[in-house]
Amino acid sequence: MRAVNYNPKLRLQIFLVLIISAIVFSVFGGYFTRFFIAEIAILSIFAMSLDFLAARGGMVSLGHAMFLGIGAYSTAVLSIDFEINLILSTFLSLFIGLITGVILAYFIVFLDGIFFIMITLALGEMFNAWVFTSDLLGGSDGISGIMRPDLSNLGLDINNPLVFSFYTLIWVLFIYLLLARITDSALGRNLDAVRQNINRVSSLGGYTKYYKIIAFSLSSGVAALAGSLYVQLNGFISPELTHWTVSGEGLIMIIVGGIGSLSGAILGASIVHIIQHELSNIINWWMLIIGTLFILIVLFMQDGLWGLVEKIKHKLLRINFK
Amino acid sequence: MILDIKNIYKSFGSIEVLNDVTISAAKNECIGIIGPNGAGKSTLFKIISGNLQHDSGSITFNNNNLNNISNEKRARLGIGQSFQKNSLFPEMTVIESIMIAMTHKSNLSFNFYSLMFKNKDIYNKAIEIVNQIGLKNYAEQKSETLSYGLQRQLELGIAISCNPKVLLLDEPTAGMSSVETQSIINLIKKLSQNYSIVIVEHDMEVIYNLANRIYVLDRGKIIFNGNVKEIKSSKLVQDRYLGQNNE
Repeated sequence: MRAVNYNPKLRLQIFLVLIISAIVFSVFGGYFTRFFIAEIAILSIFAMSLDFLAARGGMVSLGHAMFLGIGAYSTAVLSIDFEINLILSTFLSLFIGLITGVILAYFIVFLDGIFFIMITLALGEMFNAWVFTSDLLGGSDGISGIMRPDLSNLGLDINNPLVFSFYTLIWVLFIYLLLARITDSALGRNLDAVRQNINRVSSLGGYTKYYKIIAFSLSSGVAALAGSLYVQLNGFISPELTHWTVSGEGLIMIIVGGIGSLSGAILGASIVHIIQHELSNIINWWMLIIGTLFILIVLFMQDGLWGLVEKIKHKLLRINFK
Repeated sequence: MILDIKNIYKSFGSIEVLNDVTISAAKNECIGIIGPNGAGKSTLFKIISGNLQHDSGSITFNNNNLNNISNEKRARLGIGQSFQKNSLFPEMTVIESIMIAMTHKSNLSFNFYSLMFKNKDIYNKAIEIVNQIGLKNYAEQKSETLSYGLQRQLELGIAISCNPKVLLLDEPTAGMSSVETQSIINLIKKLSQNYSIVIVEHDMEVIYNLANRIYVLDRGKIIFNGNVKEIKSSKLVQDRYLGQNNE
């Protein structure tokens, strides 16, 4: 699997444009826009987790919605049943996702390509089937009544949509900085090398299994964080969130944005979610348009919107140079 | 001896691929392995590098018994290899490919905080290797955009970047023009001052130019070993492998 050109500068530029746009829309937008920005922020975190897994570990997962579910249900259970502070529950959910990722990765990362995709799909569906029937997790009704973290100590009301959208954007910033730093580190470049030529890395003395475990578990932890934020946004969690189609939508977002660019994942999540939302208000066959857009990108723009931005930037630079 | 391979047997089902193969290499010695297609050369390479397990026999490297040691650990102990088919990181630049190879010996490979390109120590060493393999003008070029000959040079560069004690070179001049072959020969000659080299090659000119000692493998057995002069004058080798081409 190919990733987009490794370009930390463009990655940062696109990220800054996106985060500043989100801040501007949050500040000047109404109630609904702020809620919408928070949704996009959470989807962006999920898309970044899939992007990191695909581009740094060379693994495509159709079961990553399971980790969204693990994060969401962990936060619900920890905060309601154990009455643990929401901020602490968020970090604990991330940690639970990370540890679950390590355990699962230990048994599955030796698989390649279609076999890896199928085993993640099977694991995800098993989890989905389990939460549907689990009394502890509310079965098909899910769990409701999840609160948002109390930020009154900081003089902030988290139920104010503007505060909550900023709260999710801070998480986006944190995850972006974390994953970007890892991507540029020696570990991250080795993870990229594993995707490109795993046999060569092991012939150089690289413990490729450990690299893959690290990529998978980090990605799982980040997806669990997205799940945790999701329940904080909506106040409830139902098993639908863990369905494999949610993982599929995440993959569509990173392909639209450009695989391996992190900020492309955020761009993809934003564009796909905006199109989904706007189109679904106008027509009820909006899925057909999303599908067509996806096919066109796969056929003609494999670097996604990142590739388009890269081309426009090159052209502009050339005009300036002339 | 830095590398001591004794009585190696390997079979795939009922097909015997290696039969009682014994080879050794001293420090800074260049060993050539020749033989017809299907003689077992590549299998022997895979066994030395740890990509394949042998049925019986022993491999000792620098006083370490390598039996049951993974290929990653063998690489860390000092066995480097270049492949018959280029095995590069296509989307990485030349300098980055070399740096990646160097991280494993410098304990940087799992460092998630230090930026790889900001590590001056690794960077300067990588530049030295890039100059050494003659790719100074291509350092910032992606591996996949290099010509085949330059990719072969990078293949060697990656192999020496993990600071090996023994280099296994599998047909380093395969598919190259005579000019490119000569440049690879010169490069390996330079490298042989610092490393022990085991080289598999079909091009006898390359072997004659580089090897201090040559082993002839035929149907899984070592049928002869000696220096260039002895190989050239051996009737057995002439009959079994070199034939008329070498007269």
